[in-house]
Amino acid sequence: MTELLQMALTGFNLGLMYALIAIGLTLIFGVMRIIQYAHGEMFMLGAFTLYYWNAEFGLNYWAGVGVSAVVIFCFGAILQIVLFRPLHGKNILYSLAVSLGLVLIISSSGQILFGTTVKGIPSAVTGGVLLGGTYLSYERMVISAVSAALIIALWFFLRRTTTGLAIRAVAEDPDTSALQGVKTRRIHWIAFGLGSAMAAIAGCMMGTLLSIVPTMGFLATIKAFMIVIMGGLGSVFGALIGGLILGMIDSVVTTTISGDVALILSFVVIFLILVFRPSGLFGQDWE
Amino acid sequence: MEQTDRSSRIAWAALLLASLIAPVVVGFDKYLIHVGIIISLNVALATSLWMIWSLGFISFAHAGFMGIGAYTSALLFTKLGLSMWYGLWLGAAMSGAIALVIALPLMRTRAVYFFMASWAVGEVIKRNFAYFRDFFGGWDGVFNIRAPKLDLGFVEVNFADRLAYYYLALFFVVLTVLVIHRINNSRTGMIYWSIHENELLAQHAGINVFRHKVIAFTIACALAGLTGALYAHYQTYISPKSFDIWKSEFALVHVIVGGLTTVGGPVAGAISLTVVDELLRATGYFRTVFFGAVLIAAVLLLPGGLETIPGRLRSFFKRSDK
Repeated sequence: MTELLQMALTGFNLGLMYALIAIGLTLIFGVMRIIQYAHGEMFMLGAFTLYYWNAEFGLNYWAGVGVSAVVIFCFGAILQIVLFRPLHGKNILYSLAVSLGLVLIISSSGQILFGTTVKGIPSAVTGGVLLGGTYLSYERMVISAVSAALIIALWFFLRRTTTGLAIRAVAEDPDTSALQGVKTRRIHWIAFGLGSAMAAIAGCMMGTLLSIVPTMGFLATIKAFMIVIMGGLGSVFGALIGGLILGMIDSVVTTTISGDVALILSFVVIFLILVFRPSGLFGQDWE
Repeated sequence: MEQTDRSSRIAWAALLLASLIAPVVVGFDKYLIHVGIIISLNVALATSLWMIWSLGFISFAHAGFMGIGAYTSALLFTKLGLSMWYGLWLGAAMSGAIALVIALPLMRTRAVYFFMASWAVGEVIKRNFAYFRDFFGGWDGVFNIRAPKLDLGFVEVNFADRLAYYYLALFFVVLTVLVIHRINNSRTGMIYWSIHENELLAQHAGINVFRHKVIAFTIACALAGLTGALYAHYQTYISPKSFDIWKSEFALVHVIVGGLTTVGGPVAGAISLTVVDELLRATGYFRTVFFGAVLIAAVLLLPGGLETIPGRLRSFFKRSDK
């Protein structure tokens, strides 16, 4: 029983972080209809920004998370303006090819710049508490809380603010919202930057739990895509649910059977979800 | 129209002739012949992926199906001692059969979701090769997959020789491209493009969209399986890593950079990008960075891909005539 609870807690924690990455991806797809394959690279760059801020220069951890988010926000916005804007409205394959090129450039220049040795960010919070036989580390609790808070904050941003409303309007119908005076180009880079910043923050959180390497972006991309497909592209709520499902599978199956089986099983689950609900759990039928 | 048809025919003949005499031109250089074989395999893979694209969707499971062909042929050789002459066809058949079974549920999904679902299929195929260690050899892969010999009575050709293998690969690539070209130019090809343009309308015009999609996917995956078997017997060693997602992605990139509307597109894309990749080998660590840069530049600066170059040149010269 306690083992089960432990697994559920780890899964929940993992799921929230996965959801954080995936929500950024789903936001970018929803607004721009592009497949951002380099999303995991933003996650990696976020983690490395924090690493240099915190571990190399010894500056404050939480300020570093903010700095990392801002840096990656700007980076994402610039990428959108320079590379993805000219391709807007063209075949989805072109923007996919560009993002594939970005993956190649970012991950291999990451290996050249940061080196291939495994690095770690020291935890900001240590210790834990034993509750009814299950160990709760404060670090994981804080990370879960931050992830949940960010997801809620994003939800409020999309629901309650003017920019959030504009983002949702552009996702719904770009032409009509442009006619209503929404600056769609501005919304595009904001959404791209915001999505990338979400991934960067997830990278910061993950960086303290796991080790960081320049190639870790690829796995994050895979996980994010799995979640987004499960939940339905463009759906923030779907990404949250998908993240939690994947986190649970990862946690439970990895501890009871093995990591390989967990990955195969999650792909099979995705496949089945898509067969029975061809647009994901909460998705729309995109053309 | 007729003139373009003739010029494209000349271009194809020239390309075939060039690839036939290429080993002589390079002076039978071992490395360059190796590059030639890699180019051939990439062309075959990209072209069969393009065939799926002609119905309006893109599969990320392509490397997976190539892997099925490769593993089938390799295991037939190492476990049963059957040479590649059996493995090629059985590999293609196995790949096609699995594609058929998977396509039936997979074709329910559409557009971006198909793309993602096929990506999951590709990963599952690869992970299965890695997971069933006793049968597929796990991450270590399968070793000692030898190339076949051909006894013609008066002369015996050993395909372990690179030059011989080059011509063998060339033969099958020409076969693959020819098959796809024939399908594309037939009435069936027109049906495929009508599905590409507007699935709903095609359905209302009395086309069985689902059946066409499944059949086209099966044929393309069988051709990918054939390429896989050729790959296995050339490399003599395969592992799940040989068929990971990057293989599919590179095939896709070849198609995109080459061009999406004609069969010449993937051929041009695969040849030029493989050459670029090999040229960048000299840059060492920066190889991938430069390749990514070339890729982005090609997409941004040459919209429509390499296949639009003849048309651009023609309109350029016409304009200067005036």
